[in-house]
Amino acid sequence: MDSLFFLFTGAAMTNILDIKNLNKSYNGIPALKNVSLSVRAGEIHGIVGANGSGKTTLMNILFGNPVIRETGGYQGEIYYEGVSLKTKNSTEIIGLGIGMVHQEFALIPDMTIGENIKLGREETNRFTDRLFGKKYSFVDRKKNDLNAESALKKLGVNVDIGVKIINLSTNTRQFVEIAREIARADLKLLLLDEPTAVLSRDDASNLLEDLTELSQGGLGILFVSHRLEEIQQICDRATVLREGEVISQYGRGEVSTTKLARDMIGHTVSKAMAKKRAIEPRPLVSFQQYSVEMPGEEIRGMDLDIFEGEILGLAGLSGHGKSALGYGIMGMYPATGEVVYENMKIDRMDAKANILKGMYVLPDDRQALGILPDHSLAENIIFTGDQIKGLFSMNFGLPFLGFLDKRKVYDHVHQLVDDFEIRCTSVKQKIRELSGGNQQKVCIARALTVNPRLLFVAEPTRGIDISAKEKILKMLIDINRSRHTTIVIASSELDELKRVCDRIAVMVEGRIFKVLQPDSSDVEFALALAGEEGTDYDA
Amino acid sequence: MTHDRIRTPQIIIIIFLVILLIMAYILHMDLVVLFNESLIKLVMNGVLALALIPMLNVGAGMNFGLPVGIVGGLVGLCIAVNFRLTGFPGFFASLLFSLIICVVFGWLYGLLLNRVKGREEIAGTFIGFSIIPLMNYFWTLAPFQNRQMLYPIGGQGLRPKIGLDPYFYNVLDNFCMIKISGFEIPLGLLAFYGLLCLFLYLFFRTKVGRAIIATGENEAFSRLSGIDISKIRLIAIILSTVFAGIGICVYSQSYGFIQLYDEPLSMAFPAISAVLIGGSTGRRTWIFEAVLGTYLLQTIYLLTVPIANEILIPELTEILRTFITYSIILYALLYRDRRRIVY
Amino acid sequence: MRYKILAEKLFNMENLVPTVFLLLSFFAWQFSGLSGTFVLNQVITRFIRDGILVLSLIIPVVAGMGLNFAIIVGAMTMQTALLFVINYQLAGLPGILLVFFLGIILAVISGFAIGHVLNRVKGKEMIVTIIIGFLANSIYQLVFLVGFGTFIPVANEEIILSRGIGVRNAVDLGMYRNTIDKFWLIKLGGIEIPLFMILVVLLFAGIISYLLHTRFGQEVKAVGSSHEKAEIAGINVNALRIKVIIISTVLAALGQLAYLQNIGMFDVYTAHMNTDIISCAALLAGGASIKSANIRHAIVGIFLFHTLFIVSPQAGQNLFHNAALGEYFRSFVAYGTIAFALIISTKYEKK
Repeated sequence: MDSLFFLFTGAAMTNILDIKNLNKSYNGIPALKNVSLSVRAGEIHGIVGANGSGKTTLMNILFGNPVIRETGGYQGEIYYEGVSLKTKNSTEIIGLGIGMVHQEFALIPDMTIGENIKLGREETNRFTDRLFGKKYSFVDRKKNDLNAESALKKLGVNVDIGVKIINLSTNTRQFVEIAREIARADLKLLLLDEPTAVLSRDDASNLLEDLTELSQGGLGILFVSHRLEEIQQICDRATVLREGEVISQYGRGEVSTTKLARDMIGHTVSKAMAKKRAIEPRPLVSFQQYSVEMPGEEIRGMDLDIFEGEILGLAGLSGHGKSALGYGIMGMYPATGEVVYENMKIDRMDAKANILKGMYVLPDDRQALGILPDHSLAENIIFTGDQIKGLFSMNFGLPFLGFLDKRKVYDHVHQLVDDFEIRCTSVKQKIRELSGGNQQKVCIARALTVNPRLLFVAEPTRGIDISAKEKILKMLIDINRSRHTTIVIASSELDELKRVCDRIAVMVEGRIFKVLQPDSSDVEFALALAGEEGTDYDA
Repeated sequence: MTHDRIRTPQIIIIIFLVILLIMAYILHMDLVVLFNESLIKLVMNGVLALALIPMLNVGAGMNFGLPVGIVGGLVGLCIAVNFRLTGFPGFFASLLFSLIICVVFGWLYGLLLNRVKGREEIAGTFIGFSIIPLMNYFWTLAPFQNRQMLYPIGGQGLRPKIGLDPYFYNVLDNFCMIKISGFEIPLGLLAFYGLLCLFLYLFFRTKVGRAIIATGENEAFSRLSGIDISKIRLIAIILSTVFAGIGICVYSQSYGFIQLYDEPLSMAFPAISAVLIGGSTGRRTWIFEAVLGTYLLQTIYLLTVPIANEILIPELTEILRTFITYSIILYALLYRDRRRIVY
Repeated sequence: MRYKILAEKLFNMENLVPTVFLLLSFFAWQFSGLSGTFVLNQVITRFIRDGILVLSLIIPVVAGMGLNFAIIVGAMTMQTALLFVINYQLAGLPGILLVFFLGIILAVISGFAIGHVLNRVKGKEMIVTIIIGFLANSIYQLVFLVGFGTFIPVANEEIILSRGIGVRNAVDLGMYRNTIDKFWLIKLGGIEIPLFMILVVLLFAGIISYLLHTRFGQEVKAVGSSHEKAEIAGINVNALRIKVIIISTVLAALGQLAYLQNIGMFDVYTAHMNTDIISCAALLAGGASIKSANIRHAIVGIFLFHTLFIVSPQAGQNLFHNAALGEYFRSFVAYGTIAFALIISTKYEKK
């Protein structure tokens, strides 16, 4: 029906952006498969997709991000007003009249709002223009600020133009970022990547109004968001991406949050790995008004009880704080709020103290935080148990020496390697030579060595091949059942959480939005992830 | 690991060494004498190179602030000489004094470096530079009494070059010296060096040592595992400073003079380049690399002196020295950061 | 964030450092017993001698590359140009012009190379520039002490050592000495003001200030604030950083020319030594940090730092009857100021 629509209006509205059969893969793993879509002048085209759906890759391609070229470029064609964008870098793409609003702001922290809005397009003195050319011409500050101010006014924002970005709230920064793009006279197409993610509801609705107005003025807008309501509200058309493919495209009037939610998550067939069981609601640890300042993954005043002996899943889109929980406890990022563990208040978020109390964290970024790449498998397994609990030290009566008790180490490590079927040439093999799955097994083995009562695991199966995934999940269940270790799994693989967990808490904007049962419906999850209450869905 | 240890700079250095050896042979130099001297030079400079290892291993980079430890060692030497201690007791007393002073210096230096994480090298350079004029006050004003250390007439304070001849000049060099048909093997000296290497080797096998290496390899991992990063770094920096102090004591007893004032200013650079020639990439460094690097570099220096004199440009030695030293450090700085991106 | 603001209120480095320098210079001057006129004359001389060198540091700081210790390379390129022209005995105006252009060309080339190198070590520029400076110095020595008379033909025997290889330690610049300095020399009582040279230094200050107020300057500031963000905003960061280093190196080369013609005697192997350290310390003394610097910092810094530099040996002599102690003090001040700036600024970055 897309083509029909096009037929009717084709003469009046021309496509300014045409993406045809776009394919992109990273190291042989496809990220985008045959994606085609178009944006017309005066239209808002929405793109919806969960994590890993290819949204970011698509935006990176359109932004001319060097990452794309470094990883082998892409196949397919992108035309902007008939010009192919294939060989263009980001500066050239901007020069063509495409504006980009990035998820991570492209604002210069130590410069003022005015300077940022006009960066690279400053109003310059005419006389010096002729003398030295535009680039080396004197910047007319006054004119510059006036111009910037009018762009901000268009968005209905009232701030002092002379304030530095670093002193602004995230809300205001988002508006400045957009103002920078619309201040351009030549702007014809605006690419927006999750522009409302950081905004409060009020500000978001203001922004949506602004965008509608801009598009009525003839601007083409490509709008990426996970807030389904917004897409429904303002988009003329919407495309749903899942696993790199275009799942569906809807025209105006056809867009509905329920349909979008269903298409975004897809229908998952998942058989529970663990039997459903009743967990006594006796909190092992409870968080009250707990906040963690992890940049990009902030937790903002979370309340959560974790019951003894359960496996709790933490779901949420990236940027909503699900991976910050464990890091906060280990003091990796500043954390505030009350944490009660075994009826005792934890006053210091200190890794050593909390490991000794029986907590342990397996990080999501395994390469950066989870392993010592040049150390052997054995050394990786024993590291924490050895350093913090002194499990493998020989002291000869001198406690500060602590040479390794090799036999004890190897007995322990061999046992774990056999139990977990860690594939390696020897326990002395360097861990960076192992596959991702085996590295993860080593991490879990390290956790078991300290024998925690409460284990936080983040993204346990990221970057691991399918067969190993199953094993890792099974290991986690086994540990929970046999050792009565309470486990919190933060994962973006909803499917896996549903199979393993007793309860699944969905995080939105740094807080627990809803706690769902693993057998809740897909649509329920999809709406919860998008932060929609979803009381009136028609599944 | 072994396959990437030999890289361009090592190849160039070895080719250069071979050319020098051939030239030495052509110019009829006594290679046996050169060999004997090379062993002395190895230990003389080798301890200073060892001093860099703890800081490299903890991830604090090349210790451009080596002069901090060196001046600590010099104070130790001066105290020993002030009390006119001679022979081995004198030498070991100087080591003991150095140790105490360097622990204090290293602790202060470590506190400063812990505040400049990620920029230790440039900060270390300037902390090292600034301690020199500060210590010049000490050399000038400290109440040393031994006349042989002081400016003869008219001057105030210690003289810039204090002869060790009456005290413990060459005590270690000549200890257990074995002479076989022209070859002179300073067994005692080598054993002392070996002991220091062994100490470091064992140290990195203790619990603290293992934590140091882990911290250097992946600081975030260490932190997540409950290691107190600041404390571990402090220990490594103190150890590095203490070794620098011991290093200058060994150096001075070989050289025969305590060199004060501006002399230690640029002593860090040859030591750093030695470790780099040995194959270190500015991160985890093995003791073997420090020993090998020192030997290669010192042998090259040793060979260039007579050759440069032979071709009538004596300054060439010193210029080549600095040229080799700085180009290797620059290469390592560039190479290390490129490698980090690949990871 | 909150701490940062609080710390800035308590400890405003931009004012604290110059105040300390002011107090130190004042007391050192009191103890030195030198006349105000003498000190002022000396400081003015230092101002026209070192001014451009200090100014050459500003743009790299603004571009977030820290203190560019490699300005010493710029100084050496000008000396190289000078030595080659003297070697081929080009006197008079053509000679001076040739020195000028040759120096600039060499500075552009080396600035280009240094810029490339620095693009590979973002965040560690300072330690690399300092090593580049040392390395360039040994190459310089290699060329003039070993190269002249062996690979490079000698045309002017006067500047060559008696053994026929290598340039002498000192080359007289008698014919150029103080030629421009005497231009428009105004005498106010005992104070001599070389108005023309002061104007030249101020002209360079104006040029830098102008550059920082152009589109180019906005880009430099953007890169200095965050090169990742600037890259996303569509600025070609690497190319910009190379331009910045070229400008800095060329300015340093010109600065060294001003320096040499003022001194009038050319110490071939030592004239450039420590120009980097002294210039950096002077800039910092004026209240700059390794993250921010402007013209005012440079000008105030030169006056404060050099006042201290001039009076401290005499103050040491009068206070302790040992001029050396004053000398130690001033080298401690030079190195210590830089060390202090490095330690303080990293503390702030962490918030």
